[in-house]
Amino acid sequence: MTQNPVVIVGAGHSGVAVAAGLRSRGWEGGVLLIDAENELPYERPPLSKELLKDGASDESAVLRKEKFYADKGIDRLAGVTAESIDRDSRTVLLSDGTRQAYHRLVIATGSRARPLTVPGAGLPGTKCLRTRDDAVELKRLLVPGARVAIIGAGYIGLEVAAAAAARGCDVTVLEFQDRVMSRVTSAPVSRHFEQLHGRHGVRFVFGAAVTSIDGGQRAESVSVADGTVFPADVVLAGIGVLPNQELAADAGLECRDGILVDGDGRTSDPAIYASGDVTRFISPIDGTSQRLECIQNAQAQADRVAAHITGQAAAEPEIPWFWTVQHGVRLQTAGVRHPEDQTIVRGEPSGGKFSVVYLREGRLAAVDTVANLADFRAAKRLIAQGAWIDPALAADPAIPLTEATSGTPNHSDADLAAARS
Amino acid sequence: MSNTSMSNTSMSSTAMSSNTLTVVDREGVTHDLEWEPDQSMMEALRDNDLPVLASCGGTASCATCHVFLEQDVFDTLEECSEDELELLVEAEGYRECGSRLSCQVGFSRDLNGVTVTLTPED
Ligand SMILES: Cc1cc2nc3c(=O)[nH]c(=O)nc-3n(C[C@H](O)[C@H](O)[C@H](O)COP(=O)(O)OP(=O)(O)OC[C@H]3O[C@@H](n4cnc5c(N)ncnc54)[C@H](O)[C@@H]3O)c2cc1C
Ligand code: FES
Repeated sequence: MTQNPVVIVGAGHSGVAVAAGLRSRGWEGGVLLIDAENELPYERPPLSKELLKDGASDESAVLRKEKFYADKGIDRLAGVTAESIDRDSRTVLLSDGTRQAYHRLVIATGSRARPLTVPGAGLPGTKCLRTRDDAVELKRLLVPGARVAIIGAGYIGLEVAAAAAARGCDVTVLEFQDRVMSRVTSAPVSRHFEQLHGRHGVRFVFGAAVTSIDGGQRAESVSVADGTVFPADVVLAGIGVLPNQELAADAGLECRDGILVDGDGRTSDPAIYASGDVTRFISPIDGTSQRLECIQNAQAQADRVAAHITGQAAAEPEIPWFWTVQHGVRLQTAGVRHPEDQTIVRGEPSGGKFSVVYLREGRLAAVDTVANLADFRAAKRLIAQGAWIDPALAADPAIPLTEATSGTPNHSDADLAAARS
Repeated sequence: MSNTSMSNTSMSSTAMSSNTLTVVDREGVTHDLEWEPDQSMMEALRDNDLPVLASCGGTASCATCHVFLEQDVFDTLEECSEDELELLVEAEGYRECGSRLSCQVGFSRDLNGVTVTLTPED
């Protein structure tokens, strides 16, 4: 191995971006990607979208072509996992029994689907969706007429619900909360997507606490707390993710539902960085502790890590953002909404195109746009600027969002003090 | 339509292997790159270390791959999708004749030797 190896554990969105970033920033030492999976690192967003479509290929677009790794001198060890870190000798023990010395170590192990823990969760036919193999297996089960029970109305559950409905399955979504995507969006957006799914034949059961999966050889039904039993040939659990932090935690690095990192992606050991879904950090924008599960964050943190390792300045942080596509309708979110933010709907949801802007102490904090990319772009910029927004102007979709700003705060100092307390 | 354009041309294999692309970066510096047939224009830029964030992986969701093309080249391309156009009109420095999302520009022989200008970051 070349001098000064940077060893990257995990070849997902963030790990690959660290490797590419090191090279584009001129790193001349070694770069080694340890990849638990066997094939070329691939894109995850299409797994619950394009890949599940009828007639779509089982391949998910690769993150970088094979040639890229060779051209850039990025070594890959595929089908191998990192088992433990010896911080004193600066080595990582791999599942093939070898040890890799590192100059700097980057943990980009991502997250895994939160497992369903009710009785029967292990029955064949019960799935979660995280890897390409998961997606390909799931797709085989989504045959016309199959009864599909989806547990959890988050992004993954809803994207799968849309794909399953389009493939002619009979789809029921069981959700503990009283609306879809409740963790990430406001009621108007939830209602819109609920109705959209309804029009495509997807049924929702809210307030549903799943108590067991039942069946003989394989899943046959799902039971919920009020005693209702939903027959199901396929059960998909989309109930969130857990950070793959064990490697770091076992090595004594500070973790708290995510590996704690600073603004440069450094963990509590200066020779070890972490990046992507697996990390928790203090947001430079609103000062809250966050663990973000999105491509944007996986890439932005990777850039910060690559910048710090090479002793360069990182790019200006991009506002966190996320997208989902359900039944062909695109929802894009920028910024991180808080439930107590002031919520302003722009446009008429029934028309299919609208946005919801979220104001915090008068400033634009986040936005959800439905089939409205113009607002998305404008909002992203305004959030970055910390722009003050005039709520009346923002409510009028005929006025471009960039013109809905107010030169001064629209709250009195007293309001602000009250909002802060 | 089952015949690809490749089967009825008779270019030599070296000529078929890639296009060249001239890129003017944000500092005005020019770079010449190879554009491989299996890459979108965005991938060619990104994989050759040009500062194209491409934070949506090429799904016309982020506009961080926005480029300017010369008008005569621009005019030969297929029209933008609605998503692409919506993102573009809000993008920094948008040009009605010239702005494209490079992830939506597929490889084509006709684009051999074109010049691409990276747009200002917003
Ligand atoms: C189905 C699906 C759809 C999604 N859609 C979107 C979307 O539309 N938009 C969006 O922004 N985000 C989306 N996401 C989230 C996005 O994919 C993640 O935020 C992103 O992949 C995080 O990148 P990462 O590198 O941190 O982790 P990952 O991409 O998960 O990569 C981590 C890699 O590390 C490997 N690994 C773990 N432990 C070890 C070990 N000990 N040794 C070696 N390797 C190890 C894993 O196998 C994995 O390959 C989606 C996710 C899924 C699953
Ligand atoms: S890469 Fe995101 S729009 Fe092109």
